[in-house]
Amino acid sequence: MSVQQLINGISLGSVYALIAVGFALIFNVLKFSNFSHGGVMTATAYIGYLAAIGLKNHITSTPLLIITVIAAALAGGFVAVIVERTAFRRLRVNKSPVIYYFVSSITMGMLLENLVTIFASSNFYSYPFALGSQIYQIGDFTFAASDFYMLVISIIALTALMWVLYKTRIGVAVRALSFDVNTSTLMGVDANFVIMATFFASGVFGGISGVFLGINYTLYPQLGKLIVKGFIASVIGGLGNITGAVAGAVLLGLTEVLLIGLVGSGLTPVFIFVIMLVFLLVRPQGIAGRIVQEKA
Amino acid sequence: MNRLEVRSISKAFGGIQAVTDFSLDLRQNDIVGIIGPNGAGKTTAFNLISGVYKLDSGKILLEGRDLTGLGQHQITRAGIARTFQNIRLFKGLNVLENVMTAADPYSSYNIFESIFRMGRRKRQEEENREKSMHYLDIVGLKPLAYENPESLPYGLQRKLEIARALATNPKVLLLDEPAAGLNPSEVGEFIGLVKRLHRDFDLSILIIEHRMEVIMELCRWIYVLNFGELLASGTPTDIQNNQEVTEAYIGEEDEECLL
Amino acid sequence: MDLVFSVITFTCITLLGVMGVFVVTGLTGLFSFGQASFMAIGAYVAGVLGIKYHMPFPLAIAAAVLCGLTAGLLVGLPTIKLRRDYISLVTFGFGEAIIAILNNSVSFTGGAMGLSGIPKYTSLWLVVLSAALCIYIVANFKYSKFGRQCLALRSDELAARSMGIDADRVKLTAFLLAAAITSYAGVMYGYYTTYVEPGMFDWGVSAEWIIIVFFGGINSLTGAVVAALTLASLPEILRFASEWRIVIYCVIVLIILNFRPTGIFGEYELFAKHGRTKTSKGA
Repeated sequence: MSVQQLINGISLGSVYALIAVGFALIFNVLKFSNFSHGGVMTATAYIGYLAAIGLKNHITSTPLLIITVIAAALAGGFVAVIVERTAFRRLRVNKSPVIYYFVSSITMGMLLENLVTIFASSNFYSYPFALGSQIYQIGDFTFAASDFYMLVISIIALTALMWVLYKTRIGVAVRALSFDVNTSTLMGVDANFVIMATFFASGVFGGISGVFLGINYTLYPQLGKLIVKGFIASVIGGLGNITGAVAGAVLLGLTEVLLIGLVGSGLTPVFIFVIMLVFLLVRPQGIAGRIVQEKA
Repeated sequence: MNRLEVRSISKAFGGIQAVTDFSLDLRQNDIVGIIGPNGAGKTTAFNLISGVYKLDSGKILLEGRDLTGLGQHQITRAGIARTFQNIRLFKGLNVLENVMTAADPYSSYNIFESIFRMGRRKRQEEENREKSMHYLDIVGLKPLAYENPESLPYGLQRKLEIARALATNPKVLLLDEPAAGLNPSEVGEFIGLVKRLHRDFDLSILIIEHRMEVIMELCRWIYVLNFGELLASGTPTDIQNNQEVTEAYIGEEDEECLL
Repeated sequence: MDLVFSVITFTCITLLGVMGVFVVTGLTGLFSFGQASFMAIGAYVAGVLGIKYHMPFPLAIAAAVLCGLTAGLLVGLPTIKLRRDYISLVTFGFGEAIIAILNNSVSFTGGAMGLSGIPKYTSLWLVVLSAALCIYIVANFKYSKFGRQCLALRSDELAARSMGIDADRVKLTAFLLAAAITSYAGVMYGYYTTYVEPGMFDWGVSAEWIIIVFFGGINSLTGAVVAALTLASLPEILRFASEWRIVIYCVIVLIILNFRPTGIFGEYELFAKHGRTKTSKGA
């Protein structure tokens, strides 16, 4: 693997990492795979686009990117909170089995995707940053400027998350809830609030990753399908484990770049599928996870 | 040959030794109890015997046949059935179907016979239905055959679990705290039921219980577990008079507390 | 009149797909996200055999279903042992993989430009009869030892195993039945539209079938059938609102999940000998 491929792989991995983290946050707290995350990403990517279009005449490239990201992040947070309220809150109140969360998340994801299709049509849009063509050169290697910024923003976002999770009270609450919702509530944790906050955080990550994906792949309604990459990364890393998700994402990015180089982008999904299947059979708990034995 | 021989089974979870070196013998037509304070490893022992957990070491022998390492369903088909401490009935199936499902592994008709309603399907379905109704009748649930299991009161749910376990045609029946949550008259009724089952079927029964009246009344022999290890074993009278057992449950007598 | 026939045909084909999902997801609780890929396999195998080798229709059907079963076995065997979340992931990946393969084997399948020239052998009678037969088959499956064991596994796998149920075997049987039904639906589809392309069998199709099943009620075969018939024919009838169709479905399903999670039909079954007395909230 060439160094250039390595750089590209890590770049791709950082985007996947944001998706995976958004995914892992919800899995941690509610123990299900939130497929609506894809829809949130798509919707907020478009919202970011609107912000960018609105401001493009007033601000130049780099700050424009940053503002777009922030706008999308905040939008993402709010959309996610709305999603939680409409799609999942009642299920918790009803103590519905996990299946329903799952189906609810798929449905919500489809809903968001189709709403975007209706309002934005199926055309491809691109962000009005000139960044796409800008490149940096270090020695023999090229960095796309956008990749560079994405990497930096990813690192900032992830560090911020870690800080919140491990150094603040709400972080403790989130981690407590991920162990046991009931006991945490008995200990005074306001489950509704913490879950809402977790969704907000996952939405923020969704918004950021939505913009990044939009930059990489241009904007189109089916962007949300890339949530699967986040899922895969989460699974490789160990479901629910945040650092694992990041590690898994980087690995996935590297693997994908390698495969594209070897077999072309057309057949890459096939190999990813096979690799994933084998991985799950050999180490289902992921890199960082643990097998939890069901008790009788 | 004993019907069930459990030889030196052990199981650890992470750093915690849940069961250490536990052995047990169950004869034909025996009723044996396992008691001990909470967390002593009783249900873990059941889970090891029924195959829910894999043994770290030791052996399980059913009528001489080594069952160690087999999957849950294979162990059940070999002849060990169980009920659960936290009732685990099948939702989405009615009372009768819950029992029929346990007997289904014994129906041999294949998928084609099933989807086209041919061959052995009709006969075997009827046989299953009759047998399952019979088991429901034994535990007194026949009139409720088409009810939803969740709508049954607790005591009846426990009976359903027993009927379901019986449908697997067991040689050994493991009952995990079957009297938990029953009121005194239900407990009496339950004791009567176990005696009848014991008499009418060729069953060896292993019971985990906290209700002493059940254990004392039914069991020929009792094993006492504490912290995963065998503390004592003997007849009900032996155990009643055993100092160590009392201490394990109640704690040592504190000289200063004696009034 | 042609339009009516067309609507009926597509509705019946959708019904077949929904039946497949009912068996594997409704009865057995396995979330297979790649069901549409079996339809793709069925359509393409039968299509290629028909066009290039002039295979007689019944043989092409048999071959297609056999291929679907083989694929089902290859994917199913490892997948059913995984935990629920992973099953959805793997089957999704399988769906993507199939589409990728179809897109990339231009010589065989025409790649992204699709396969055209499939003879139009699917008649109205054939689809309607097929749909009816399928309902019969699935009903018989549900009320047999297979259906019961599937439901038991879905409800509490640990307890089911402890009652002697061979979980892997039962799950695989359900998975394969669904694969067979769905591959057959693919043949019906290909030999009706006479043209197929990989994009017709993507994840959206699988997801729509799942939504329909949950709409009607995962516990009710009658519900799934009615939901399929209604929701599949509606788009044609509501042509003007076609963009909003899926949005409306999604909203309704979300409402159902929130307030009546067992679906519109709950546990109701037509022709059930003994109805359930209550719907269980969490089956």
